[in-house]
Amino acid sequence: MSNILVTENVTKKFEGLVAVNKANIVVKENSFTLLIGPNGSGKTTLINCCTGILKPTSGRVMLGDTDITGWKPHQIYDVGFVRTFQIPLPFIGLTVLDNVLGAMRNIGESPVKAISKRTWVEEEEKNMIHAMEILAKVGLDKHWNLPSGALGAAQLKLLEVAKGLSSGAKIIALDEPIGGVDPASAHEILSHVAELKSEGLTFLVVEHRIDIAAPFADYIYAMDLGTIISEGPPEQVLNDPKVIEVYIGKGVEAC
Amino acid sequence: MTTKNGMITKIKDYMLLREVMVILVILALLTFLFTSRGVPIILTIFIDFAIFAIITMSLNLETGYTGIPQFGRVAAVIVGAFAVGSIPGRIMARFMGFPWGIEYASDTVNFKVVPQITALLASNWLLSLGFLVLSLTVAALSGAAIGWLISRPAIRLKEAYLGISLLAFGDFFMWVGHNWKGMVGGSVPVNVPDPFRIFAGNRFTIIVLVIFTIAFLVFVFLNKLTKSPFGRSLRMIRDNDMAAAAAGKNIVTVRTRSLVIGSALAAIGGGLYVLYVGSVASIGFSRLTFTFWPWAFMMLGGIGSNIGVLLGVFLLCILRTMIVIFRSQWFGFLLVVGIDPLWLEFTLMGAVIIGVILFLPYGLVPEKIEPMLPANRVKRVLAGRQ
Ligand SMILES: Nc1ncnc2c1ncn2[C@@H]1O[C@H](COP(=O)(O)OP(=O)(O)OP(=O)(O)O)[C@@H](O)[C@H]1O
Ligand SMILES: [Mg+2]
Repeated sequence: MSNILVTENVTKKFEGLVAVNKANIVVKENSFTLLIGPNGSGKTTLINCCTGILKPTSGRVMLGDTDITGWKPHQIYDVGFVRTFQIPLPFIGLTVLDNVLGAMRNIGESPVKAISKRTWVEEEEKNMIHAMEILAKVGLDKHWNLPSGALGAAQLKLLEVAKGLSSGAKIIALDEPIGGVDPASAHEILSHVAELKSEGLTFLVVEHRIDIAAPFADYIYAMDLGTIISEGPPEQVLNDPKVIEVYIGKGVEAC
Repeated sequence: MTTKNGMITKIKDYMLLREVMVILVILALLTFLFTSRGVPIILTIFIDFAIFAIITMSLNLETGYTGIPQFGRVAAVIVGAFAVGSIPGRIMARFMGFPWGIEYASDTVNFKVVPQITALLASNWLLSLGFLVLSLTVAALSGAAIGWLISRPAIRLKEAYLGISLLAFGDFFMWVGHNWKGMVGGSVPVNVPDPFRIFAGNRFTIIVLVIFTIAFLVFVFLNKLTKSPFGRSLRMIRDNDMAAAAAGKNIVTVRTRSLVIGSALAAIGGGLYVLYVGSVASIGFSRLTFTFWPWAFMMLGGIGSNIGVLLGVFLLCILRTMIVIFRSQWFGFLLVVGIDPLWLEFTLMGAVIIGVILFLPYGLVPEKIEPMLPANRVKRVLAGRQ
């Protein structure tokens, strides 16, 4: 398997605070790579640096052979890398369905095509079929027509995941996709992710609930205080004394 | 189940009732004005309505749908007005062998040349039509250009800063117009050839029809534009620009497109206003009339709802006209306590904005949250899933 996403010494500083410190991670194509670490260890910041939400202070982000360091989020989307947000960011003026459709492409996004319905309506219908399948997978298909603002917190989390999964990207970063979701649904969502992986997609997943997520992982990176402290196959990382220490030492306060 | 359905129908009825009530109020006021003042005042209101409908719908595109705090609507309106005041007339003057440079805008030349152009237009309906089309095209192109130009430095700014820069641009163009004598006469109004003169006595009625038709076309155009994947991108950026960017939307491009289209439409509004009035006086284009009033119209009607905007514009145009007509008659007593009724118009606007924020935060007709895909297609997809 080749490397699809590589960070080389990525560092992000916020006025003195080093949120990410020379992080080197490699995400192999068609893998489920899990990124763990206690609260505030820099996981989200690292994802932000990879997906153009933040510019790394130093270091490089490579997607395949392309250097995407400092690119805009939509440019990174265009080369097939999307992400979801830890805190859901729904488009509250849109239906649940259109939240998902908005993460897909349609020729009618151009204003010139937009005014002539027949140029985009077929594509939109196909997209809707796909969107409804994904909404069904996360259990939101019954709510397709609700304003997304009417969803509860856990449902918004699911919607956020559905937006990511629908995009057609080849690599998807999910920032805590199952936080706050009940264990049964959480397992179902990750099973769906595994299914998409078997279809060739790659996943970089940030997750606190290691018990549920680890069984799906091919490879794990553990972070603490902005630094990657351990990496390897799940058994190895989860039994690494350094990882156990940060989780026992800090996990308690984190709860 | 039945009670729940009953409830939903009731709510729907209530919503519809609100629209119907607004329309009834509008009709009542129009009847009152018609019986007390006659036809001309009604036609004036219709023209006011149609021009402000165009301008406010353009504002709604940028602000209501895209989330751009467009506090400089007046800029594009002015540019449209100046374009119509300065370009088509000069083209005609050139062909007819009159001075068409800076002199065209000087009052001594202008008041001699323009009537001759109008006379020529009035002799040939094709020429009149051509002049109208040329004027509107010139207005739209200038508006689009200025929208694009303004968006360059401003579009990357965050909300409040963007709003302030747009406001500043609006004033900037107002003062340029007021001082640039060579373009449209600076502080001295410049006359504009009249493509409607050909209708002689029916001029007023025909203008109403033409402006109404254009406003209707703008309405249809904007409904198509906003109920589409493009419209969805606008709303995504409005609701959360970071999430929209992560979903692949190029924020700068989409906002720019919204500003360019909105400014072109607002400029058409400004151009029509000039053709109707027959002259351009830069001082007539104030921030109050062409930025703040459209904001009040939009807020009352319903941000993100084109139908709502139309109702809001109609209702407030009538109230505004009524205040102007009746202020001294009805509110003259205010002078006793030292309030000049002249200011009531501004008070009305303030009162409307505050009242809407307090009691009708989503306006008369709140934005509809519905799929972009037409309902019959949606049904088909849902049926296919069973
Ligand atoms: N925009 C920002 N400005 C300043 N500091 C920030 C910013 N974003 C994150 N930080 C800080 O950087 C550190 C890492 O935060 P980050 O959100 O990446 O952690 P995390 O591992 O995702 O934590 P969690 O598990 O709680 O989501 C924290 O100390 C946080 O306060
Ligand atoms: Mg985080």
